[in-house]
Amino acid sequence: MMQKMSAFIAKNQRFLPMSVTAILSIAAYLVGALLYPGMRDAQVFFNLFRTSPFLLISVIGMTFVILTGGIDLSVSGVVALTTVAAAALLREGWNAWLVMLLMLLMGMAFGATMGAFITYLKVQPFIATLAGMWVARGLCFFISDDAIAINNPVYCLLGQTMLLIPGFSDPKTQQGAFISPLVIIAFVVLAVATYVAHYTRFGRTIYAIGGNEGRNEQSARLMGLPVDRTKVLVYTLNGFCSALAGIILSIYVSSGHGLYARGFEMTVIAAVVMGGTMLTGGQGYVFGALFGVLITGVTQTLIQFNGQLSSWWTNIVVGLLTLFFIGAQSFLATRKGRQVEAGSPEVQRRRRMLVWGGSAVGVIVVGALILGALLNPKENGAVGTTPTAESAVCQFQPTSDEDADALIAEGAVLTYERNGGPDCIDELFAIYPDGRIIGVDGARNVEKQATVADVETLLAGIRDQGWFTDEFYNTWHTPCGQCFEYHITVIYEGEEKRVTAVDGGTDAPAAYWQVVSRINGVIPKFPETP
Amino acid sequence: MKPKIAFNWKKMIEHKLFFPFVALAIILLFDLIFIPGFFRLQTKEGHLYGNLVDILRNGSTVMLLALGMTLVIATGGVDLSVGAVMAIAASVAAILMNPVIIGMKLPPDLMKFINDPNFTYAPLWQVITVTLIVATFCGMWNGLLVAYVKIQPMVATLILMIAGRGIAQLITNGVRIQIFYEPYAFLGSGWLILPFSLYIVALVFLLASLLTRKTAIGLFIESVGVNARSSFFSGIDEKKIKLLAYTFCGFCAGVAGLVASSNIRTSDANNIGLNYELDAILAVVIGGTLMAGGRFSLLASLIGALVMQATTTSMYAFGVPANAVLAIKGVVVILVILLYSEQVRSFIRRFTAPKEARS
Repeated sequence: MMQKMSAFIAKNQRFLPMSVTAILSIAAYLVGALLYPGMRDAQVFFNLFRTSPFLLISVIGMTFVILTGGIDLSVSGVVALTTVAAAALLREGWNAWLVMLLMLLMGMAFGATMGAFITYLKVQPFIATLAGMWVARGLCFFISDDAIAINNPVYCLLGQTMLLIPGFSDPKTQQGAFISPLVIIAFVVLAVATYVAHYTRFGRTIYAIGGNEGRNEQSARLMGLPVDRTKVLVYTLNGFCSALAGIILSIYVSSGHGLYARGFEMTVIAAVVMGGTMLTGGQGYVFGALFGVLITGVTQTLIQFNGQLSSWWTNIVVGLLTLFFIGAQSFLATRKGRQVEAGSPEVQRRRRMLVWGGSAVGVIVVGALILGALLNPKENGAVGTTPTAESAVCQFQPTSDEDADALIAEGAVLTYERNGGPDCIDELFAIYPDGRIIGVDGARNVEKQATVADVETLLAGIRDQGWFTDEFYNTWHTPCGQCFEYHITVIYEGEEKRVTAVDGGTDAPAAYWQVVSRINGVIPKFPETP
Repeated sequence: MKPKIAFNWKKMIEHKLFFPFVALAIILLFDLIFIPGFFRLQTKEGHLYGNLVDILRNGSTVMLLALGMTLVIATGGVDLSVGAVMAIAASVAAILMNPVIIGMKLPPDLMKFINDPNFTYAPLWQVITVTLIVATFCGMWNGLLVAYVKIQPMVATLILMIAGRGIAQLITNGVRIQIFYEPYAFLGSGWLILPFSLYIVALVFLLASLLTRKTAIGLFIESVGVNARSSFFSGIDEKKIKLLAYTFCGFCAGVAGLVASSNIRTSDANNIGLNYELDAILAVVIGGTLMAGGRFSLLASLIGALVMQATTTSMYAFGVPANAVLAIKGVVVILVILLYSEQVRSFIRRFTAPKEARS
């Protein structure tokens, strides 16, 4: 039995890293479903795909680059540039399809340029694509400093159409599990990429260039393969994938901003590694990209459903998983090596230790997650019953700007709204010229009477900070799990201005936080909930 | 007479510091022409201020990172985790000064206490020592993975790069801790005629120079970078050398984390040192150290870091918006790298060589 099994494994060894990822992600999902009833909902499963089509596309492109033994750090820059450029062009009233075509061409041109630098001028891939990333991200801010909203009908249609899953939904009532057309696009890309990688000359050349841990380029050249052309094409292909991912991201969030997708390239590279592709090149499967993305998604979902662990645990878990997979790859490499030449016992022992260490780490991670879940049954009960993953985390409430406007119409001179944070609050305060301060957080009200002079000092102070000048401008970035989003409106001496910001970043003007702390000094506090 | 001049020319071009200096000179020349008053220096309260001082001051973090990175790159590796290690160092330092903030709801009267510029939980020397030890351990972890477990450097350090920021937030429980303790803030934002951080850079540079040039370690590092296997056969313990390089890099990242966090007076695990690993690597590459390993020059790396910072500062002075500066930095990097490429070098050589060839 054991022999049969090991023979089977030896025969299909090349699929092992990929299948380990697949099994691990499925197992993690099942554990989650056992612990949190909410995860048994079919929609949560489909959300794994619905929330990350851009990640999947980027991972596919990156897999090709890594298979040749290169690397592309420019992904995040090109994605951000695509969102901003598309949003800016759509704002000018361009045709949506034309814009998409242009963006894809731009991405390909970007990739081809970097590929040419790498291939013909022999610049290190790391350096060339890094410079590319900076250029792309910098260009975003030549186009626009602020986020640009997209209201194009084609974009809305693509982003908001719900494709119901047969078997999990009711076609009559249009209720049930669904995915978006973007997921279909991502899967089409996956299918095409798999075909290209394994059934075309181009694909075989890629494997030939990256073979032997990336040292095979010379042999490929001597075999008469078009090495230079293929390398440029691979970077062009990844530029295309990045641009497509950017288009899909801009559809998904229906806006464009230069700060989108920060650090995205590292998520992508980690997903490629977890998908079973060797970073040295030449080994791996494009199809593994799907599992790399899946395991990232499952990790996030588990952490969201747990509710106790903050979102930054995702980073730690992904880091540990990467370590685990690299350990596994290294182990497999030795096994393969042993078939050719028996490694010294010392080497074998070290590898074995590594694998056991890696598996131990993996087990510990899963164990920690389960333990964290079990230690807090109350929280789980509350979270687990929620129907979708999204409602399990603190969602940024749609801002109550209308409420704020209503309060201003009533005569308030300052409204202050903050929502989010670790306790997921949504508070709105209004200060009236007569010193009355009221606050609501949806359920409760507080009130406080300050002096007229206090209000005057506060407003004058805010004015003197430069509130009504260009020093204060709107900023927004994806909030961290613990961050607050602020909306502050001030009316003073006939001027009115609303400025929004999210803390936890460096984009908002520094004086904004001084204004926030001034206001915090005046407003009443909600009583602590037990 | 003439051949002698040509010879000097050649020697100068072949010198390690030539290209970094040329790059720096070109940028400063641009400033001289296009930005009036860029070179103006003034003294306020006995301290020196001006754009040139700003370049040195803001560049000190990258200079520190570049020192450690030079040794790592010289062994043929790379360390992507320095930015994350900076974040970890900043979190450790902040938590040592302000431990009450973790996970506890502070009673309101304590807020006053925390805002007190003389309040710290652990004394300054402890804060610095513990932070540097933690950072050094981070470097050692990378070194162990690279040297003993034999994982590719880029992948091995990628692990800490991804997990590091999470760990930093784990330490501070996701809170951005403000730093009010004045003596600590002096590290990054104090002045002793020149910015204090420059003295720190000088100290670390001195340490690294002594380590590499007054002992055989520098030679060993270069030997490992050129060919690890033959170094091993000639009796150099390449594993220990690699471990040392990564450990030192972690130490430098820790110092950089101290300087950066004291400069902005907060432990911002999300943003401290973000993308600094890339700046540091480019500084080293501009300094002429090959990514494949081998010969290195610490001074050239420092100048490389200054090239990066001078570009940024000049663009700010020129009025380019902060975020858009990245694009220009990217273009400068490409130009500098092209300057180094074999094609351009052979062109320059052809330009200067003929006379000698004839004689």
